[in-house]
Amino acid sequence: MKALLLILAMITGCAWAEEWPQPDWPIDKANLNWQAVDAYAFPANPTSERSGIRTDALLIIRDGRILHERYAAPTTAATAHLTWSVSKSVLATLLGVAQGEGRFQLQDPVARFYPAMGAHPGVRMADLLHWASGLDWQEDYEYAPLKSSVVAMLYTRGREDMAAYTAARGTAASPGQRFLYSSGDTNLLAGALRGMLDAGQYADYPWHALFTPLGIDSAVWERDRAGTYVGSSYLYLSARDLARIGLLMQRDGQWQGRQLLPKAWVAFNRTPFALAQPVPGEANPGGHWWLNQPLGGAQRPWPNAPADTYAAFGHWGQALYVLPAQKLVIVRYADDRDGSYRHDELLKRVLAALAGEGA
Amino acid sequence: MKRMLLLVLAGLLYWAWQERQALADFPGILSAYSAKEYCSCRFVMGFEQAYCLGYVQQWLPLSSLEENSQQRQVTAEGLGRRNQAAWQSQREGCRLLP
Repeated sequence: MKALLLILAMITGCAWAEEWPQPDWPIDKANLNWQAVDAYAFPANPTSERSGIRTDALLIIRDGRILHERYAAPTTAATAHLTWSVSKSVLATLLGVAQGEGRFQLQDPVARFYPAMGAHPGVRMADLLHWASGLDWQEDYEYAPLKSSVVAMLYTRGREDMAAYTAARGTAASPGQRFLYSSGDTNLLAGALRGMLDAGQYADYPWHALFTPLGIDSAVWERDRAGTYVGSSYLYLSARDLARIGLLMQRDGQWQGRQLLPKAWVAFNRTPFALAQPVPGEANPGGHWWLNQPLGGAQRPWPNAPADTYAAFGHWGQALYVLPAQKLVIVRYADDRDGSYRHDELLKRVLAALAGEGA
Repeated sequence: MKRMLLLVLAGLLYWAWQERQALADFPGILSAYSAKEYCSCRFVMGFEQAYCLGYVQQWLPLSSLEENSQQRQVTAEGLGRRNQAAWQSQREGCRLLP
């Protein structure tokens, strides 16, 4: 009888044993053919010109274990790489922890935590998370620097206090009614988070609440002169550390038996903002994450990936993909200076490599 | 013909007045961008000088970019404007100086 119980315990034990990257990522020794994936992500570049697909790092995790990992010099596994706008989704994850601690509700007005938003009393936390503040904004980088709000925020007029710069913008639409991708909306979230915490808590909060529990030790998060985290753009992480954020999301906010993020928060991140207009081939906005979930009867943005795929994206090709059903987390760092890279193509090739397993 | 030219000129002046803030800010973008992103490339991501020079290169050339490796400070000049960025701390990385 005892032996039977022991065997039963071992079987259930195995079924329940989830792998966690504590302290380091375990390796999955499955023998898969990554040739087509690598050929796409790391094409041989004969010239030093800044064109085409220029991947710096590719890391593929399955159910908490590294399946495939490759870097292009000078990036290595130890490089804390600039994530650009992937920072936005990580800020949303940090806010999820704060929400789990009862610090705010989605329907709270932003002005409650960030007084300068008193000029826009109707804007709620959920609106900022949907990039739907209704504030006047122009999100363009190098192609239209003259009119770009994001360039002004990061480098000229707004750089001292980015949230204040955004809050001083005029109104272009009713709050919560119009999707308009805005780095300003994200920095208002960073300002609001500051208002939820005691003065001495803010500087350490990303580490205390999120990075340290996940075992992330490569993080650098730059701030403006006012001391607010540049939530829109300036988080640096190693590829392996960004994958920890991905695994936390893939496992519905759970980390080693602890519900670090409320499940409902992850569900909010993954719910499309219904008032956004679908753009062919472009991921749809959820709660500060990007979704393959189709909107309004349109085709799903990446036809070769499952509809439940979601991602965080940054300038020049940075990406963190989560495929919950396949238990996949994929990190891609890059220095793409043109638009030739396609999310759908990479995901298609990764899934094809996995389909070839055991064949 | 003359009237046409005057009209175009008036239109341009009107546009410049409308965009006076953006036009005044424009020359500062290049040096601020270069100083900040070069500082982070070197002292946060830890890449070599030559790589970082290529990394921040834009279609408009800088007149100078100087790195003070000891103090982890970067000074960039371009379009007649000068901007400085400096490394702050392990967690905070780089920031533009006022």
